[in-house]
Amino acid sequence: MAIHAAAHYADHAQDDHHNHKPHGFFNRWVFSTNHKDIGTLYLIFAFIMACVGAAFSGVIRTELMKPGLQFVQPYFFNQMTTMHALVMIFGAIMPAFVGLANWMIPLQIGAPDMALPRMNNWSFWILPFAFTILLSTLFMPGGAPAGGWTMYPPLAIQGGNSVAFLVFSVHLMGISSIMGAINIIATILNMRAPGMDLLKMPIFVWSWLITAFLLIAVMPVLAGAVTMLLTDKYFGTSFFNAAGGGDPVMFQHIFWFFGHPEVYIMILPAFGIVSEIIPTFSRKPLFGYQAMVFAIASIAFLSFIVWGHHMFTVGMPLGGELYFMYATMLIAVPTGVKVFNWVSTMWGGSMSFETPMLWAISFVILFTIGGFSGLMLALVPADFQYQDTYFVVAHFHYVLVTGALFAIIGAIYYWWPKWTGRMYNETWAKVHFWWSMVFVNVLFFPQHFLGLAGMPRRIPDYNVAFADWNLVSTIGAYGMFLTPIMMFLILRRSLKSGAPATMHVWEGTHGLEWTVPSPAPFHTFETPPVIHDEDLAHGDITH
Amino acid sequence: MNEQTASTNPDQRRAGIRRTVWIVGGIAFAIFVLFFVKQFLWH
Repeated sequence: MAIHAAAHYADHAQDDHHNHKPHGFFNRWVFSTNHKDIGTLYLIFAFIMACVGAAFSGVIRTELMKPGLQFVQPYFFNQMTTMHALVMIFGAIMPAFVGLANWMIPLQIGAPDMALPRMNNWSFWILPFAFTILLSTLFMPGGAPAGGWTMYPPLAIQGGNSVAFLVFSVHLMGISSIMGAINIIATILNMRAPGMDLLKMPIFVWSWLITAFLLIAVMPVLAGAVTMLLTDKYFGTSFFNAAGGGDPVMFQHIFWFFGHPEVYIMILPAFGIVSEIIPTFSRKPLFGYQAMVFAIASIAFLSFIVWGHHMFTVGMPLGGELYFMYATMLIAVPTGVKVFNWVSTMWGGSMSFETPMLWAISFVILFTIGGFSGLMLALVPADFQYQDTYFVVAHFHYVLVTGALFAIIGAIYYWWPKWTGRMYNETWAKVHFWWSMVFVNVLFFPQHFLGLAGMPRRIPDYNVAFADWNLVSTIGAYGMFLTPIMMFLILRRSLKSGAPATMHVWEGTHGLEWTVPSPAPFHTFETPPVIHDEDLAHGDITH
Repeated sequence: MNEQTASTNPDQRRAGIRRTVWIVGGIAFAIFVLFFVKQFLWH
């Protein structure tokens, strides 16, 4: 396969047919139907949103540097915690993964593009409007939403008219996600190259196929829930209004029926990425490919039946608490399978530690820390102590920053030479990694201690007993603020003057994306490649 | 071993994409609607 495809592209490398791009900025980017360009748009958008979300967290950490109120009023602080979460989850992490999916899924399955290229364009271009609507609330009378990203009524709908803008922007994000998910499922199920059976697909493709089904299942639930919030506030309904016969706790059940699978929407593609990077730099096929696929599917299934662990303290029956506790702990089994398989892939491998591998290994270690603190939170009696403390904040930042975000950064460093045809400065990229590795732990690890000592989350002021670790955490945050700047400068320099990348880029690569030239031509796989089992990324699984 | 390959016939491929979109989009829409119906009847 590799030889066949390489020869094909060598013959046509200079052929305009592969590289003709639309003329003009608008035609190229606004009306784009090309999966690579739309992937790039998603990634740029995610980077901008990550910087906006980081700015919000800067306000939070600066206010929390010392006890007492220093810089902002409590109501604005609440707006910052709410907006930080909404922007980072829906604006940064999810679009970044969709961007990677757009770039890599067609390349990895040998398809010429996504199945529905025009809908792909629409999926992306909805997002800037959604976030303009959301961010515009910061400049309105009454300010931005301040009731937390979880939007619990009655608190969330007691704000100003920002509620309506929040609901509408969530609708738009949901439409974008559902269209993206439909596109990904249609592409993977219908556009694979001949010989690419489902159980021969790269693991990143598998992780996204399962993630797309999660999106299809839960985004409509979120859309329904926020619509009911809207009608409760503006149209006199009482879905969640106890005075009118509604039930505010019902919102929490509905929200977390969406919210817990949402957590896995943000981590399953990261599992896929790490499962691509580790075999490459271990020069071994992925250990337990099929077990990895079934583990992802098991985690996805379990994600639908554990939502109650987010609300142990609302007063559910003991039987409910026990059920949700044990169901949640079950997730550790397939997750453990994945962690041991990554370690087993490295075991005995001819390992090297280029930048993407460093991010992948740090993912395995730090995500596991987040997983263990998750197990602690799953224990009902313990959760009654940890609920709404900084321990929870530490837990989900280990999962979402050192988990999801680190995997995204690793993926960018891994596939960047394939996208641009340019290598980056390995030394500076490693500086970026180690700087992040140190400061992310300085930022988030002390929050475990704060939470265990009893510091509540979502507050602008705190007891002086918590002062020291808050100062340390803020120092970590300031260190982390340099990392997007570092990454931007490293990648910009790579674009301008990076050494040319070879077709295979890394020594241990397997898979279709590495059989096209670097940079990947504008159009690829117009003629489907033929797959041979011995060339599969995860080894010959037929034996 | 799974031998489920995608068709390379353009017509079958288009039909497959159309079918997938209707099924998956239909599931999403049905969840949204059923959810409202359920909330109206019992909440």
